[in-house]
Amino acid sequence: MNKNKLIIEPSKKKLSLNLKELLKYKDLFLLLSYRDYKVRYAQTFMGFSWAFIQPFITLLIFTLVFGKAAKVDTGSVPYPLFAICGMSAWSFFSYVLTNSGSSIIGAQQMLKKIYFPRLIIPFSKAIVGFVDFGITLVFIILLCLYYGFIPSSNLIFLPVFIIMTIISSLAAGIWMSALTVRFRDFQHVIPFMVQIGLYLTPIGYPSELIVKNMSDWMSAIYFLNPMAGVVEGFRWSILGGAPPNDMMYISFMVIIIIFISGLFYFKKVEKVMADII
Amino acid sequence: MKKETSIKVKNVSKKYVLGSKKDGSLRGTFSNLFKKSNKIDKQEFMALDDVSFEIKEGTALGIIGANGAGKSTLLKVLSRITEPSNGRIEITGRVASLLEVGTGFHPELTGRENIFLNGTILGMSRKEVKSKFDEIVEFSGVGKFIDSPVKHYSSGMYVRLAFAVAAHLEPEILIIDEVLAVGDAEFQRKCLGKMKDVSQNKGRTVIFVSHDMGAIKQLCSEAILLENGKIAKHGTVQECIGHYTTTFNSISESKGKTHIGNGSILINSVKLLDEENNETTFSTAGGTLKFLVDYACITKVESVIFKIEIFNALTNSIVFVCNNFHSSKPFSSLKKSGKVMCEIPNLPLNSGQFYINIQCLNNFEIAYETNNYMNFEVFKGDFFGTGNLPNPSKGLLVNHNWQEIESDE
Repeated sequence: MNKNKLIIEPSKKKLSLNLKELLKYKDLFLLLSYRDYKVRYAQTFMGFSWAFIQPFITLLIFTLVFGKAAKVDTGSVPYPLFAICGMSAWSFFSYVLTNSGSSIIGAQQMLKKIYFPRLIIPFSKAIVGFVDFGITLVFIILLCLYYGFIPSSNLIFLPVFIIMTIISSLAAGIWMSALTVRFRDFQHVIPFMVQIGLYLTPIGYPSELIVKNMSDWMSAIYFLNPMAGVVEGFRWSILGGAPPNDMMYISFMVIIIIFISGLFYFKKVEKVMADII
Repeated sequence: MKKETSIKVKNVSKKYVLGSKKDGSLRGTFSNLFKKSNKIDKQEFMALDDVSFEIKEGTALGIIGANGAGKSTLLKVLSRITEPSNGRIEITGRVASLLEVGTGFHPELTGRENIFLNGTILGMSRKEVKSKFDEIVEFSGVGKFIDSPVKHYSSGMYVRLAFAVAAHLEPEILIIDEVLAVGDAEFQRKCLGKMKDVSQNKGRTVIFVSHDMGAIKQLCSEAILLENGKIAKHGTVQECIGHYTTTFNSISESKGKTHIGNGSILINSVKLLDEENNETTFSTAGGTLKFLVDYACITKVESVIFKIEIFNALTNSIVFVCNNFHSSKPFSSLKKSGKVMCEIPNLPLNSGQFYINIQCLNNFEIAYETNNYMNFEVFKGDFFGTGNLPNPSKGLLVNHNWQEIESDE
């Protein structure tokens, strides 16, 4: 039999991500996702329909407040379609952020009893978020049909923005899950971040409003929000129109930076996770 | 076949920092950033202190020690849950650690789903679980409830299902913490049998931590005694348990050395011997226990009776008495000084701690008496020779038999 040798040593200096190991644990990863998905609507009266009700009502409120009352100018695009495109990416992000953040704490029982790459835990939460993400995409299609709206040819860029959405969600998720282990304060910070992010991201309004009415450096700060660029690009690839502001690249830079730094920070905390949790 | 080294542990230490430095709050961390020296209130605790050992393939190693000796930390380091602060460990082969029964079980999921989840958590692939699925269900005895959520299971069923998964792990190295502490006696026996099978018949390496010396004796071929994070002894199970119980009994041995009596006979010492007449501090239910009494006659003696009263240390109640007056007859002519031995075959004591009172009568007058002379420990054992170890704290063990009576109807 082929015997593998395992060396356990304190890893003081070298900081390797060892992402290969994650592949070895893909079964566990999938089963944990399945568990979260299965348990999510267990023993609820409405069951899976919650996954439709929540985005529907949010969309309704957005349409009433921003579309009808505040009369946000969305050009030729019907407001509900405009809003759902923004909501789609944002709700995935906020789901992953919220659930990954508390995921390690929630799995502490398991963490103390068995070894596996801990990254699996925040990552597996993202899979469950895909279900919701898929549902909002269904809403987009339905609204396109309803309004007879033909998506722009930019649609080929949609996969890029979907991938950016995923990376930025994971980036925030791993940072928050590791930070929450170290500092429980972040349990309280995360809901707050989600709440503020809803306003600081061009979901109910186009980011042109910001760029037009604020100074350049204010806009630049605005686009430090990783989701600002992603949501804008996501919407552009479906609805077309003027290409997103160049400031979008600021968001992309931020995403890459927080994703890579997040992986390393997580690895650093991972070593002591079982001791400090 | 030459046996390879399966686990090699070299100078492994695990240090924990006590105190307020890393208390997990932002405020604490910030204020520490601005402190000139944050080493003032740092207290270190060595959970493992320079531990080195090596075990060969196919060895069943028992790890014993008092609470806080570092047993669990050692297991955690070996199973990679936490990193050692120093040292190096080399493990050859696939490791599965079982520090808890049913890790990752979710009450809302069905038995079937939990088998898959728990199996993959313990390190099996989904394919492996699938191929063993029927066996696992069979072993657990859960039967038709396999598709109900486990929250509706009785706690017994839950544990049986969880253990069934663990029992079908087939790693080269199995690390087990006191998982046997759950379940009823019958179930514990089943688990122990399964583990024995894994280590003895399949040649797997097993590391087993337990407070149950009986289980360690049954399962393991060698043992390590940990004391304050250090290896106090690494040797045969017998040696380690002996060493452990000695350190543990040394506290009580100093007391009870005051004696009363007329002084015509002195008792110099009473020793506990095992079957091979080696001095010991413990025995097992159903084993042989011997008391060796070293005496000296100060005056002339006529008829001497030795009396050893066995007490339960927990309840301070007498369990039984051994004296040579009732069981045989008084010693009529003893040498000036010498030894007498009292042998108890098939020890009827159940596991627990006991102490003895010793008394010596010369011509029916108390010559020497000491209460609480010494402690000894009894571990679970196969008293009835059936392989069913009796439960502790269920009184004395008495040989008996059962049979079915033919009736005429």
